Amino acid sequence: MSAARRRLLAGLLTLTTAAAVSACSGGGDEAEGDSSTLSMMVPLFGTAPDPKGEIQTAVEKLIGKKLNITWVPNAEYNEKTNVTLASDALPDVMVIQDNKGPSFVKAAEAGAFWDLTDKLDKYPNLKPKSEQTWINSKTNAKNYGIYRVRPLLRSAIVIRKDWLEKLDLEMPKTTDDLYKIAKAFTEKDPDGNGKKDTYGMILPKWPGTTFSASSPYNVMDVWFGAPNNYGMRDGKLVPEFDVPEFWEAQKYIKKFIDEGLVNPDWATLDTAKWNDPFIQGKGGIIIDVNVRAGQLFDGFKELDAETYDEKVAMAGNLSRPDGKKFSYPFTGFNGIIAVSKQHVRTEAQLDEVLKVLDKLASKEGSILVSNGIEGRNFKVEDGFAVKINDQDPQMKVINNDVEKAFIQLGMTSSVGVPGGAYEWMRPSQAEKDWLKQRDELMNLDLQTAVHDPSLPVISQTAVEKGATLNPIVTDARIKYLAGELTEEQFKAEIKRWYDSGGTQILTELQEGISKVGG
Amino acid sequence: MATDLAPPATKAARKAEKGRRPGRVPVRTALLRYRWLYLMLIPGLLYFVLFKYLPMYGLSIAFQDFVPFLGYSDSPWVGLKHFENLFTGPDFGRLLFNTLFLALLTALFVFPAPIIVALLLNELRVSVFKRYVQSLIYIPHFLSWTIVFSLTYLLFSVDFGVVASWIHSLSGGGPKVDYMAQPEWFRPLVILQLLWKTSGWGTIIYLAALAGVDPNLYEAARMDGAGRWRQFWHVTLPAIRPTIVVMAILTSGNLLDQSFEQIWLLTNSLNRSVADVFDTFVYYVGVTQGGYSYATAVGLFKGVAGVVLIFGSNWLAKRLGQRGLF
Amino acid sequence: MSDNTTATQPAGVRHYSSLGSRVFDTLNIILLGGLALITVLPLFYVLAGSFATEGEISARPFFLWPEKFVTSTYEYIFANDTLLRSLLTTIVVTAVGTVVQVLLTFSMAYPLAKRYLPGRTLVLNLVIFTLVFGGGIVPTYLVVRDLGLLDSYWALILPLAINPFYLIIVKSFFQELPQALEEAARIDGCNEMGVFFKIVLPLSKPIIATFSLFYAVAIWNDYMSPLLYINDNSKWTLQVLVRQLTSPDAANAIGALDSAVFFPQQGLKFAVVVIATLPILCFYPFLQKHFAKGVLIGSVKE
Repeated sequence: MSAARRRLLAGLLTLTTAAAVSACSGGGDEAEGDSSTLSMMVPLFGTAPDPKGEIQTAVEKLIGKKLNITWVPNAEYNEKTNVTLASDALPDVMVIQDNKGPSFVKAAEAGAFWDLTDKLDKYPNLKPKSEQTWINSKTNAKNYGIYRVRPLLRSAIVIRKDWLEKLDLEMPKTTDDLYKIAKAFTEKDPDGNGKKDTYGMILPKWPGTTFSASSPYNVMDVWFGAPNNYGMRDGKLVPEFDVPEFWEAQKYIKKFIDEGLVNPDWATLDTAKWNDPFIQGKGGIIIDVNVRAGQLFDGFKELDAETYDEKVAMAGNLSRPDGKKFSYPFTGFNGIIAVSKQHVRTEAQLDEVLKVLDKLASKEGSILVSNGIEGRNFKVEDGFAVKINDQDPQMKVINNDVEKAFIQLGMTSSVGVPGGAYEWMRPSQAEKDWLKQRDELMNLDLQTAVHDPSLPVISQTAVEKGATLNPIVTDARIKYLAGELTEEQFKAEIKRWYDSGGTQILTELQEGISKVGG
Repeated sequence: MATDLAPPATKAARKAEKGRRPGRVPVRTALLRYRWLYLMLIPGLLYFVLFKYLPMYGLSIAFQDFVPFLGYSDSPWVGLKHFENLFTGPDFGRLLFNTLFLALLTALFVFPAPIIVALLLNELRVSVFKRYVQSLIYIPHFLSWTIVFSLTYLLFSVDFGVVASWIHSLSGGGPKVDYMAQPEWFRPLVILQLLWKTSGWGTIIYLAALAGVDPNLYEAARMDGAGRWRQFWHVTLPAIRPTIVVMAILTSGNLLDQSFEQIWLLTNSLNRSVADVFDTFVYYVGVTQGGYSYATAVGLFKGVAGVVLIFGSNWLAKRLGQRGLF
Repeated sequence: MSDNTTATQPAGVRHYSSLGSRVFDTLNIILLGGLALITVLPLFYVLAGSFATEGEISARPFFLWPEKFVTSTYEYIFANDTLLRSLLTTIVVTAVGTVVQVLLTFSMAYPLAKRYLPGRTLVLNLVIFTLVFGGGIVPTYLVVRDLGLLDSYWALILPLAINPFYLIIVKSFFQELPQALEEAARIDGCNEMGVFFKIVLPLSKPIIATFSLFYAVAIWNDYMSPLLYINDNSKWTLQVLVRQLTSPDAANAIGALDSAVFFPQQGLKFAVVVIATLPILCFYPFLQKHFAKGVLIGSVKE
């Protein structure tokens, strides 16, 4: 490069950086939030509520503070969370969806958020109601937020009711029952069209690469007595896939696949299309969360409003052939609500914020964020909430603000866990029965739930090598079920998992679990 | 004189530039003489400095364990750790192979597609039909990969795929092929999706280039007795050759970038061995690890490869007598 | 030179009569017609699906006309003014942004097309470097914040003002422009900027049309910038809404199924795609006019 060119460049650079610097000096000093306003960041599923809308006004009246809420579309919530963490303009209160994710954990451990492990006892509504969920929501023995409750047990089997009745079959109680139903659904022409064009169970594609994914496969593993993700055997921590019970479960699942009792595209079916074969009348069994039955009711209703209530039946977890029952639980929460230290600096300020959250988690608060304003957009009948004038534009706005936005601030109530709020009324008797049955099954199966002891612990090796390690066993299982791997080859893959870092993960987890449990 | 049918515009431009190209001039003279040109350059330069070069310090996190909350100054430095993980990791060979293979297929099939379509469109003589085709084929550009994937599934699913069952009945029964699951069908599906989504949109730039051809050239060629083929060969093709060359050089720089969403949606446990590419692996690392630093390290690696490819293909283009990028 | 009637005809329309030529034309029509068909059929499905009930979309794998024609998804979308407002915002931002971006890109490309300009190669190298290297989301966000652009519509325009890819293509187009007219203007006493505005830009209509389209579509489709830089929800653009309803969302994945949430339904997804695509589609025919008028360049007499 010639000297002339270099000088030219230098000149240009000076000019532009000067402009840049002078343009930069304007920003920077964020206005300090005064104590009458609380700033929040919350995920959003629809259109953002108007800050002067009825719901926000009612919430502000209840908590006695102004709210400054940044609503972030759910799909990009984690991206925005990371940018927000990097920009040192944290809101006072943040919904954290992935409270085990590295960027949150590292931020929390670096002191960005309050450790609430011993601080909630004096707030009646924030005090954890479920010890199990409280443990599940821990991050390395610490709670950096208040968990947003979900049912602790949501696994269930949804079955085509009309098919069962046509073939004169009973609801399943054991894994063998389920196999017989699937077999009959495949071979005995349950839709009566004279063609063998149905299959028993609908299995979707494996979501992502993690082995423990609350998939139907995991549920069936647990039914046969395998650990939920990890479990203690003779004082040693073992993974779900390295116990004899796991192999029993594999043989069971493989029988379904080999005999054509599942959808032919079981390895690739998009989870978003899981309901379709059920509604199309191609398959008759789905193992998933119990609320899927509600979705299926709605789907059938649009096809035929007369008969929709005759098509969906639900069963709980099944016992294995020897009669022993193990049920598959969920974590019991969906993300946490954390308090950042940036503006909430002293214990007194924290107390003020927690008092606000306590009001939000109270009965009045729960009703407000999960149902709306009683007498305005809903009324209560037989303990259920019923919408009033839901075609009225103003009511639509209120309902949108509640269902797509403010419900995300619910800490003590959710669908299936009414807490202080109300469950929505379902029109048909079949659906009412289903709601009742759902609650009964949840309570019944919870007694045999097999919890995942590794939830509160984070293994550093799993963090660093997860991308390589996770797919090893996950893919091997699917390939084994598809007949592409023999049992020996599958076992060799499991050994590869141990050798590439699995052993170390187990050691780290076991160490962490003993600390949490101790 | 068929060989001498290059657009006069180009020749004139070359001549003009050759004539004005000065020797070395003192900076002050240059600044003064070309002050208007430099003035026009300033807003653009300002943009590049502010929004492209100022944030470049972000690349430093490839050598850190970046934690968003700690920021650039306080995140721990880890040297070449992420590069070591990348190059010595058990997945590197497979990722590199899959990425390169897809890049090669893209260069071979996806890059020429819009050129061919644009040339065919250019030969259409029914202009109403031409307009309709033109407006229809670029619509897929506006659909997200999610929608493209749903459509693909609709067509190729082993259970209800329209195309899949069509092929099945045409080929006379036998066991059904699961196009979505079998590794050997993964790459063809990716290429098909790319062709469908991008070919129409890609024609726009070539059509713009073709629109710039002087009709007098065709007239002159016809007077010289050139038939349709020779007009195409000696007028149409030379007219868009510079555009093709520039597009080829520029796209070579991003050849190693695959559309993450497209690949990710098509991946499943049965085809992962051929489906994993750098862009999807970075995503998996991100899920477990946060992965900003690793992603940046991979980005740097791909960037270096991209620079080599751009300058390499530029050099090649010049060797082949084309103008190149500069 | 030739007579005026041929000179004003579009470049593609020429007359041939040989047999081979006719066979080619027929095959060409069939081929391109087929191509148009395979792009348009799936799109018809999206359109039809947006007017179908959720039950029908689940029950029928593929259809081009809904059995039961409903407009409920559209009624739902237009129930409040959020969508209309964001549509309006998007149109304004796209219009202003396109003008700014085209102006910035073209005025930078012009000097770069002058091979005699000292320093030009250096600038070009700097530009090409940014094709493959970028600082990433977070540092760019910090720059936007420090410029005080958060919550400003300029944050949706300025960070994307010049696409280096387009810049280089425009530069190459400029290099192909005939120099004769520029020379003439210079002799008439115009400075370089005058030449650019009075001669070069009017000559470049097809290219301006092309890149206006590219930039407009890029702004139109951008969902990341509004998401990162705009905290005030009333300022959101259409794509944020679209993205929310069409992204491969974890909400539908197994287990993550969050019962507290109502899912984006298929029909709604389709309707949003239709709404987000139609306005920009209407933009195209206006530009297409200019592609056909590319003959302008040919008016330069040697």
